Amino acid sequence: MNRVLTLAKFNIGILLSQRTWFFLSWGLFALQISIYGSLMSKLVSTTKLPDYFFFYAIGLMVIIVFDSGADVGRHFVEHAHEGELPYFLSLPVSRRGFLASQALYGVVNTMAKVLPPLLGVLYFLGRLTVQGVVFSMLALFLLGLGISGIMVSFSFIAFKSVDIYSAVLASLSALLVRFSTIFYPLIIMPNFYSPVSSLNPLTYGADLTRWILGYDPSYLLNPTVAAVVVTAVAVGTLSLSAGIVDKIIEGVKAA
Amino acid sequence: MSLSFTREPKLFSNLNAVETLNLSKKYGKTDALRGLDFAVDQGEIMVILGPNGSGKTTLLMILCTILKPTSGTVKVMGLDVVEDGTRVREVMGIAFQEARGFWRHKPSSILRFHASMFDIDPVKRQDLIERTMKDLELWESKDKMFMHLSGGQAKRLETAKVFIQRPKLAIFDEPTSQVDLRGKRKIWDKIKELRDQGTTVIVATNEVREAEYLADRVTILHQGHRVVCDTIPRLKDAIAGGDVVEVDFEDPMSTKLAEDLKSLGGGLTLSPEGNQLRAKVSRAEDWVPKMASASYNLGAKISSIRISELSLDDVFLHVTGRGLEDQP
Repeated sequence: MNRVLTLAKFNIGILLSQRTWFFLSWGLFALQISIYGSLMSKLVSTTKLPDYFFFYAIGLMVIIVFDSGADVGRHFVEHAHEGELPYFLSLPVSRRGFLASQALYGVVNTMAKVLPPLLGVLYFLGRLTVQGVVFSMLALFLLGLGISGIMVSFSFIAFKSVDIYSAVLASLSALLVRFSTIFYPLIIMPNFYSPVSSLNPLTYGADLTRWILGYDPSYLLNPTVAAVVVTAVAVGTLSLSAGIVDKIIEGVKAA
Repeated sequence: MSLSFTREPKLFSNLNAVETLNLSKKYGKTDALRGLDFAVDQGEIMVILGPNGSGKTTLLMILCTILKPTSGTVKVMGLDVVEDGTRVREVMGIAFQEARGFWRHKPSSILRFHASMFDIDPVKRQDLIERTMKDLELWESKDKMFMHLSGGQAKRLETAKVFIQRPKLAIFDEPTSQVDLRGKRKIWDKIKELRDQGTTVIVATNEVREAEYLADRVTILHQGHRVVCDTIPRLKDAIAGGDVVEVDFEDPMSTKLAEDLKSLGGGLTLSPEGNQLRAKVSRAEDWVPKMASASYNLGAKISSIRISELSLDDVFLHVTGRGLEDQP
């Protein structure tokens, strides 16, 4: 366990030394919420959907969580292509321990990118409570673990071809973000759109976070179902990625 | 072609640090290792000699659990590399063929991280790192980032990880490629020092000089097979004709002279220009006077004669039919 923490600490140290990315992420969020968030909340009819600005802000945070989760997969692939993966795989840590260290890296990455925007938005909207922040971060954290698990599970593709991996990631990102309740609630979606969105883990993560932060529950999925789905996805995809790291991924090919 | 197996691996004996039995590894349809039986005694330096593509690196990657065998059994210090991967990694250290660093980290920080992962005593850690870096002439580069190190410095840093770790089994994959002559000698001496402290060492190389300097025993790999394994003197003795005579003539040799020299025995190789001759003979002191006499009788003028012992390259040539440097 100690070695897993040492490995995670080392990777997190590298992450935190790249502060520019955090400032860029926060800046992008601020830009998007202040320009597009304001515009969108005026365009969307308030009679059908109350407080769209708040709805949109939480959606943006789910996107940040998604991107941070995807970062874990990319980070894993970068290790392989910069030659660091064989070194990490030669260290006295079990493969699951290695994955756990990557997950811890992902958690810190997600927390660092999401917490400041979350605090800012909740403060701006007058909804800032300790309880709300703690539980919404927990929901986003679980969602982030699930996304990380999906991305690491897909990363073995990168060992065959980075191009295919990038294409899969881009497609997955486009589909998951659009076919979800990140920007619109399920109940106002067209019939052809909502069934697909209800299969998407981002839908459950976004609605659960909104419920925790006090958004009108009549526009959201059942919070118990959402919590169960988000937890199940986190546990399921992490187990899948652990199996893949353990059984399939090899660090280097050499003849 | 005669293959010599003067010392069979003592498979799955408690005395062996490393044992493989019928080990195979495939990459798709390509066989990198084909039923390899291989054993390393505890406390020895085993050099694996072979050209690129012979399966050296694949074998090392399986030993350090990065690659999984396609079939066969592999044990390191009695531990199965598939079943007990984490415990295997606790007892071994590897210096990779390509230096593995972190671009924006300084050498001392990379070594500190490595030492912390292998539970090196924190009190002794800094001193050990400083001493090893000084021994390998890396101390002057301690403030450079990894990405600014030269190829040779990065390679020395890669080997330094194993030297500070002092594992039970140390693996070096081409430890001195890109390193200058002075640096090579320092690394070789550190590897011997490691062996003297009780570590079992495996060195994979395609450099004959490195193998001759380091090896307690040599295993020659060719196309995924172990062709031969023994001490260097025994390997050389196993080849008929222990001396190599190289003769330079002032002019190309006549056909008659070539035929006369062939009749003296020994394996002859003639240069394309016809004025250089290389002969592998049992006793140079007997063969040279006869060769000189035959040349004098036919009026061929000799400009130089060099007599040397067989090299490992000759051994490789003998057992595989191709020289180390002829390989693709």
